[in-house]
Amino acid sequence: MNAPLLSVKNLTVDFHTSEGVTRAVNNISFDIPAGKTIGIVGESGSGKSVTSLAVMGLLQKPAAKIPSGEILFKGQDILKYSDSQMRDIRGNDISMIFQEPMTSLNPVFKVGDQIAETLRVHKNLSKKEAWEKAVHLMDLVGIPNPTGRAHTYPHEMSGGQKQRVMIAMAISCEPKLLIADEPTTALDVTIQKQVLDLLFRLQQEYHMSMMFITHDLGVIGDIADDVVVMYRSNVVEKNNAQTIFTGAKHPYTKGLLACRPKLGANPKRLLTVSDFMNESGEEIKIDTAKVVVYDKEVVPEKSSDILLEVKNLVTQFPIKGGFFNRTVDQFKAVNDVSFTLKKGQTLGLVGESGCGKTTLGRTILRLIEPAGGQIIYNGKDITGVYGEELRLLRRKMQIIFQDPYSSLNPRMTIAEILTEPLVIHKVGSSKQERLDMAKQLAEKVGLKVAQLNRYPHEFSGGQRQRISIARALMLRPEFVVCDESVSALDVSIQAQVLNLLLDLQDEFGLTYVFISHDLSVVNFIADEVGVMNAGRIIEMDKASRIYKNPKEEYTRMLLSAIPKGETKSAT
Amino acid sequence: MKENSLWKDSFKRLAQDKTAMISLVIVIMYTLVALLSAMGLIASDWAREVGASNLPPSAEHWFGTDIFGRSVLAKVLRGTQVAMSVGVATAVISIPIGVFLGAIAGYFGGWIDDAVTWLYTTFSSIPNIMLLISITMILGKGLFAVYIALGATSWVTLSRLIRGEVMKHKEREYVQAAGAIGGGHMRKLFRHILPNVTHIVIINTSLQFQIAIKSEVILSYLGIGVQGEPSWGTMIDDAKLEISRGVWWQLAGATLAMFLIVLAFNLLGDALRDSLDPKLKGK
Repeated sequence: MNAPLLSVKNLTVDFHTSEGVTRAVNNISFDIPAGKTIGIVGESGSGKSVTSLAVMGLLQKPAAKIPSGEILFKGQDILKYSDSQMRDIRGNDISMIFQEPMTSLNPVFKVGDQIAETLRVHKNLSKKEAWEKAVHLMDLVGIPNPTGRAHTYPHEMSGGQKQRVMIAMAISCEPKLLIADEPTTALDVTIQKQVLDLLFRLQQEYHMSMMFITHDLGVIGDIADDVVVMYRSNVVEKNNAQTIFTGAKHPYTKGLLACRPKLGANPKRLLTVSDFMNESGEEIKIDTAKVVVYDKEVVPEKSSDILLEVKNLVTQFPIKGGFFNRTVDQFKAVNDVSFTLKKGQTLGLVGESGCGKTTLGRTILRLIEPAGGQIIYNGKDITGVYGEELRLLRRKMQIIFQDPYSSLNPRMTIAEILTEPLVIHKVGSSKQERLDMAKQLAEKVGLKVAQLNRYPHEFSGGQRQRISIARALMLRPEFVVCDESVSALDVSIQAQVLNLLLDLQDEFGLTYVFISHDLSVVNFIADEVGVMNAGRIIEMDKASRIYKNPKEEYTRMLLSAIPKGETKSAT
Repeated sequence: MKENSLWKDSFKRLAQDKTAMISLVIVIMYTLVALLSAMGLIASDWAREVGASNLPPSAEHWFGTDIFGRSVLAKVLRGTQVAMSVGVATAVISIPIGVFLGAIAGYFGGWIDDAVTWLYTTFSSIPNIMLLISITMILGKGLFAVYIALGATSWVTLSRLIRGEVMKHKEREYVQAAGAIGGGHMRKLFRHILPNVTHIVIINTSLQFQIAIKSEVILSYLGIGVQGEPSWGTMIDDAKLEISRGVWWQLAGATLAMFLIVLAFNLLGDALRDSLDPKLKGK
């Protein structure tokens, strides 16, 4: 076998900060053979991105130090390269795609110019040649009408298209190695599928090697040859993809594979990493009581009382235009939506970004004013409720937001955040009583009481989402809208939060509207699923039936976009 | 368990910044001088003749004496009281106006925003010094007029900054969350948004403070500021006639005093921006 294109040997990376030294990567080794794709999997903070930055020579100096190890690229240790030698390699031999297509492009330059710039730096092409090549590349990555689109600015493109432009830039110099750092995490499943297919096709065409970094083992299955699993700065398992998916050895890998909800199965709870491994990383026996599978179709309905009925609901936003910025038209974000929801049930709403699912959720809660239709809650139309009556209604209806980073006020302690709903609604007679109530619920959602006087920035994403959930439940609501509540979380954390939501539903008899772009998550948690497109619910049925027997073409497309969690040779 | 608010983190970072700490010490010293002078403990006898006219700096009179034989040092110290009081008065007047108008404009939008924006664009379209002169003309010369004139003009920048920041924050999910649990406008604005924009007030005040001091010096130099009391501005005004006769110490004393405090506030403002701005803090 030939020498690998890239070989990372005993690499260690430390970060020196005022609070001491943190080891981000601990003595890891792996190879990337020419023309192969290596998936690097791990949760946030496991050191996978630091590894990729080390390969690119982009670690932040002087904070980052590499006390030992080497990175051999075509047999040369690039850690010993000077800055100018690294610049020649970057973008030319090794290039990189980042997670956030929204911020990785310069907003003031045309996309064609941005692709051409890379070519002119590395390939010494003339302005005209570079532009023509850029247009060709845009065609290659599947942007329609590339000649015209090359003249557009980044803000005129969708997220998926921007990511395609980023890919075009990355492959413009035909690199030997392409590093993709969570390139699809910020995208909808359907767009994710397209981008993955594109990367796979390009990798084959150009015989590139690819280093694909992700927190989601499911995503990698479709394209990776080998998989490296990282956990707490160490490589815990590496093998070819087939073996990882069918016979993973390390408990962490097993946990990662199990925690992603699968469309076919209907487990009562999702297994999480903590079911496979204890705090110190030792394997534990799986509690078989946790792997109960049931068929949602035969489960008796929990009650027959209708809690919420939405009739012909319309929400519209004005489109401003003209010289005096008058309202020239109305954009119907929610267009004639009707459904009923029974007590204790979960309605899942799926669709791509911009389909109106978030607006629908907020309109039901009256956070956005409806333009027409009725929202009948507990037998009463609440579209015309205002003032004190609306405030009282808020006790019954709550929302859990998507972004655990922006949904908590950074200047308030957790105790203040949790007791605020009680203060507003004058629940509890004293500060101490309110605090006790907060403590009680905090324990239920898996937070430690001692952490209550801390501030949000001291918590991880998963913990913050638990805080958001606790805040929403402080007033003991009956009805909760979960708006993409697990989408920003790593899959392993996502499973824990989904389990928590189910436990809380059982305990408090909650009724959920669960909004997500991920059909597999919705299928796991929801009893009924509504598929939304362009402001309408186009298909609605029992979760299991939607999956087995989708009627609409659009639903079928959403279903086929979900990563299967299988290897490419298996499909 | 130790709690660790963003404020605490920020001040910890600030404490590690040597330049900021030196600047802070200078600001505190000036404040002390101003307070002691205001209480009549130092420089209260600035008008007393201490020696011959125009004595150069010596061990006895560190900054020399002026044309009437008064101690320049005492005048500089007394001038510090005037300068610092102008800074404080400006802040006291401009912060409530700026924060209030900026906050309601950013939060409510619509016609309130239009009205506030109209008001501050009107204010900022008039050359500042002209506006200051016209206000002092109406109110009459003197320290009080300077307070009002500077307070009435320096809320504009703060208001604009607060407006923008409030607009950004009101779209954040934590503010929507406050609405979802039944919080009203006042709670959203004062309990949630304002604490998250307070750092702007602090940074802006430290920068506005020195602008106020400089403006007072200019107004006094032009003869429409402080009357009958020493100010760095009137001292520089006096010095323009003396300098040709080689009497440089009055100019030097006033300039040095002003230079130090303006520099200190500028450096402190920069350091505050670095340590308080949450954007620089990683997620």
